[in-house]
Amino acid sequence: MIPARNLEIAVLVLGMLVLLFEAFVERIDKRTLAFAAIGALTAVLIGTWFLEPGPALESATGFWSFYTADPLSIFFKRFALLTTIVVLVMMIDYAPVLRSSAGATTQSGLGEFFALPIFTCAGLMYIVSAIDFVMIFVSIELVTISFYVLVSFTRRNPTTLEAGVKYLVLSALSTAFLVYGITWIFGVTGETNLQRITTAFANPEIELGGALFGAVLVLVGLGFKIAAVPFQIWVPDVYQGAPTPVTAYLSVGSKAAGFVVLVRVLRPFMMLPQMERLLVLIALLTVIYGNLAALPQSNLKRLLAYSSIAHAGYLLIGVACLAGSAVTFYLVAYLLMTLLSFAVLIVVAQRTGEQISDFDGLAKRSPFLAFAMLIAMVSLAGVPFTAGFFGKFFIFYAAIAQRQTVLVVAGVVTVACGFYYYLKVVRAMYWQVPTSEEKIPVNALSRATMSALIVATIWLGIYPWPILEALKR
Amino acid sequence: MVTLGDYLIVSGVLFAIGFAGVMLRRNLIIIFMSLELMLNAANLSLVAFSRFHVQPNGLPNYNAQVFVFFIITVAAAEVAVGLAIIVALFRARQTTNVEDIASLKF
Repeated sequence: MIPARNLEIAVLVLGMLVLLFEAFVERIDKRTLAFAAIGALTAVLIGTWFLEPGPALESATGFWSFYTADPLSIFFKRFALLTTIVVLVMMIDYAPVLRSSAGATTQSGLGEFFALPIFTCAGLMYIVSAIDFVMIFVSIELVTISFYVLVSFTRRNPTTLEAGVKYLVLSALSTAFLVYGITWIFGVTGETNLQRITTAFANPEIELGGALFGAVLVLVGLGFKIAAVPFQIWVPDVYQGAPTPVTAYLSVGSKAAGFVVLVRVLRPFMMLPQMERLLVLIALLTVIYGNLAALPQSNLKRLLAYSSIAHAGYLLIGVACLAGSAVTFYLVAYLLMTLLSFAVLIVVAQRTGEQISDFDGLAKRSPFLAFAMLIAMVSLAGVPFTAGFFGKFFIFYAAIAQRQTVLVVAGVVTVACGFYYYLKVVRAMYWQVPTSEEKIPVNALSRATMSALIVATIWLGIYPWPILEALKR
Repeated sequence: MVTLGDYLIVSGVLFAIGFAGVMLRRNLIIIFMSLELMLNAANLSLVAFSRFHVQPNGLPNYNAQVFVFFIITVAAAEVAVGLAIIVALFRARQTTNVEDIASLKF
């Protein structure tokens, strides 16, 4: 049996080892480091099934009042590890682009490109376990600062740098709001631990005004991380400008961690009726904005950015209806289909480009890649027999149970709207004439990863119970 | 006698100045400076809350003061990375004015 905290320590040590190999070992193919990291992270992933249970939340003291190893956190630790493994596979595919933009044939800096996601992964694992505002703040910053470097990694490329600066300024702004909000919650309750804050709210003498002000500021800060309207302005530019594997990581890892924190932080505040109304409003704006703004896009990466805003909206509907397991299932489905679409995009974009028109006739050139993209797109749209369908189904089911008619109507209408822009990609791949007949090569590791993601997407679309069961334990 | 309210007003004003700086100024370095000001506003109010939240044994609530150290450390890390990115941008574009950085558009 392994104590839960050793998982993060193992991941951090792995990250440092990769950095040391990058710095001191010169005559190796740097991609070996990525393969080694994938192997080590898989070992840590297996380790998550052999954990010692931590003490209960109520009786926790010392370290355990900052950190919890409850089923939710262990589930999302696996989620973070899996995301990182897939992202590393994508990064190996992406390495040639990185080298050509560095303007040299050497492999300088490639090791750092593989080390940073590992540190980010440790941060994500800490976030999902954090039950104290201090821990939440520090682990969110560990993730965010790693992402600053990752987003602007190809620093010879002005577009990437522009994305990096935009991410830097807006993320730092959201951090300032988060910290100021935490300050006010501390000021009212005198506590930073979420459990003790909940207890403090039971006291009728508490000044709810100050706490509500703090909670709204925290919501602003977290809204930036999960890309909720009106804090979504950074998303399209950063997603388009960042290196594609980083975009995939940002849209899955960062968003999932944001939602886990949101669910944990909101628990003490959900008894206030104002908070619930605010969440419903934000969810409504996010689904409508994300889906409408995605309609006219012609760049696939930008389209996926708007689609990620739309999906944040559906997830927020789940959060507003207090449907924890529906949100978790949606996040898992979102992980599968988003990573699948980005994996195909990376391979195709290196040969043609990122525009939807660059996918013309892909089915004739590379049937496998076109099929993978097809599955990703129909799942994102929410066609039955894919994971995306059950994700939306559980969310809307929870909303109907809570009698949130407006949210259900807005959700269903915008899903229909989503069909248009997702199927635009499918139309380009299957009904347009290809501009060249040349095949697009896929290496064995990415082909295996894509196949696994396709199988998982369809499997969860037919038989979703394993995920729901995993949460109950 | 300086009360808790006075500290909170100063901290609120600092936060507002910082936010206005981020929104209105056009130079990246100034924007970054304003962001640090916002973090320090939070630090000030945390220390004030800590000093005025006296525990039954007469000591201030030290949780907030420890949190302030974390904020200072994280802010330093953020500046280290942020300035590096801004310098790289300056080398590529010869400008730190945000209005010149608009190649990614709808």
